[in-house]
Amino acid sequence: MRVLRIAGEGMNSLAANKLRTFFMMAGTIVGIAALTVIMAIGKGTEKKVMKRVEVFGPRAMMLIAGGGRALPPPDTSVTTLTLDDAQAIREEVTGLEMATPQAWQFGVSLKHEASQIQAVVWGVEPQWHEAWDWHAAEGEGISDEDVATMSRVCVIGSAVKRDLFGGTDPIGKSLYINKVSLTVKGVLEHRGTTGGDGGEFDNRVILPITTAMRRVMNVDHVGAIRIITQDVSLMEQQARQIEDLIRRRHHITPDVEDDFRIITAAIIADMVRGTSRTLSLLLMALAGLSLLVGGVVLMNILLISVAERTREIGLRRAVGATRGDIFAQFLTESLSVTFLGMLLGSAVGAAISLAIGRLTPMPAIVSWEPFALAIAFALLVGTFFGVQPARRAARLHPVEALR
Amino acid sequence: MLQLEGIEKTYLSGDVATPVLKGISFEVNPGEYVAIMGASGTGKSTLMNILGCLDKPTAGHYRLDDVDMVNLDDDELSHVRNHKIGFVFQQFHLLQRTSALKNVLLPLIYSDDYPEEAEDLAENALTMVGLADRIDYRPSQLSGGQQQRVAIARALITNPSMILADEPTGNLDSRSGSEVMAIFQRLHRDGRTVIVITHDRDLAEHANRLIVLDDGRIAEDELVDEPRDAEAELAAMTQSEEAA
Repeated sequence: MRVLRIAGEGMNSLAANKLRTFFMMAGTIVGIAALTVIMAIGKGTEKKVMKRVEVFGPRAMMLIAGGGRALPPPDTSVTTLTLDDAQAIREEVTGLEMATPQAWQFGVSLKHEASQIQAVVWGVEPQWHEAWDWHAAEGEGISDEDVATMSRVCVIGSAVKRDLFGGTDPIGKSLYINKVSLTVKGVLEHRGTTGGDGGEFDNRVILPITTAMRRVMNVDHVGAIRIITQDVSLMEQQARQIEDLIRRRHHITPDVEDDFRIITAAIIADMVRGTSRTLSLLLMALAGLSLLVGGVVLMNILLISVAERTREIGLRRAVGATRGDIFAQFLTESLSVTFLGMLLGSAVGAAISLAIGRLTPMPAIVSWEPFALAIAFALLVGTFFGVQPARRAARLHPVEALR
Repeated sequence: MLQLEGIEKTYLSGDVATPVLKGISFEVNPGEYVAIMGASGTGKSTLMNILGCLDKPTAGHYRLDDVDMVNLDDDELSHVRNHKIGFVFQQFHLLQRTSALKNVLLPLIYSDDYPEEAEDLAENALTMVGLADRIDYRPSQLSGGQQQRVAIARALITNPSMILADEPTGNLDSRSGSEVMAIFQRLHRDGRTVIVITHDRDLAEHANRLIVLDDGRIAEDELVDEPRDAEAELAAMTQSEEAA
């Protein structure tokens, strides 16, 4: 094929001038590498977001005592959130599947015979199992009767079973919290870590909320209310409604900060995306700048090369090259440079992404999508910055060029 | 084979018109070895560009193998150059950093059909000019005479209607020059059409026909009674070198 032979001429010229070729390629390498890293981090982050939202509950909101926007552990000194607030939410906000309060205490000592461990204690209603989609794997969960009778029972996480009971069957055995004896009636499903903050989900004990508040913690406030919506699209609006309701109930005037906060799945996603977004914006700027500057450098080297190779062009015309052939040759040079730069840049970018995934907490996933985008960018840059030099080469008059 | 009919070429520089060729007419038959001679400024380079289809005349007709070149567009002229004309330039015009073989193959890159045995053809052409053992050498590894012989091999690769040489010995010492002229004479004996453009009468007298240009017109057009024999000159050079 004639066109392939002519493309071959372009590539021969690149091979014969390796240093020049490298300079022509540098911008593309950096730009495509940055692009690859951006997409790897973006993809890794989205996967992490999905996972975190899945764990949090895509339809869930947490109304937590204490202001600010950070995740738990919450401010346990705030005592204004009550069971009545939960009742009010259930009555006044429509479109909710449930709103269930929970009391909590962190770093509580658990004792069983000679062993002792620290764990988180949650006081919950039976709906809690539903609200977190977290049920008893062995034995039973917290029941309505347990709550009504303030019974001295508890359901333990798998880590507590492992650490306090040495992995033996704990059902029917008792453990002590603050000198209150409780009978283990169930073991929760294994959940693992929360991811990110490293907190272990399974290191906990849940009690009937009444037992927890009256017998164990001796409080009349709750730590949080978990709310599940019927419809995710209503969540933002419901969150506003709940915020207004609680402000009113807590008599918070407009100039005073809330003594509670509402965390939604969207807020969780935002928090996970936060750091990666800054880095991605920075890399995006680097990629854009590299491709632009690299393209201009490429064009200038090609223009110089056209001027230097005037006689070569004249000779090629004399032995039968048409203007189109010359154009094709120089465009091939430009496209080959960006294509090769793209391959190198993708390799460098993939290597950096793997290193980021391994060595930093930032998630990065290498995939084929950035490669497809890189091919598109390489062709775009190669064409855009290669056309002008190629046209200049093609316009040379053979007689002038041979002189 | 080729006919020129009232060829004129006038260069315009601003409002000033400079006529360079003022009505050139001649014919060349297949197998002729023609020298076109003239001092500098007589229009021989311009004539060479027109003969080589690198440029178009301002007026007149130039028929090559019965096709009027005046009517062809740029792409068609490129095609004609590729198929019918083998150029040999004063400065050789070889691609640097490229082997002799690749240089010889260059015209085939631009031909419509690249013969399967292209490399064999190129090797044969290089053998014909005495460079069988220099096939992989780059121009920088070759002497001027050898470079010009690579250029001649390149001119032969497409089996053109004519070889068009512009001061082919201008950059060569006399021995290399004679070697080049000997090759042209051999090509002529093999029946090829050769046109050499030069300012040098000694060189021109190797041809069988001499056309002398003066001020854009043909001043002489005559057969050379006894062309100089390049082979004999080379033999004489070798002899005198051995004597010394």
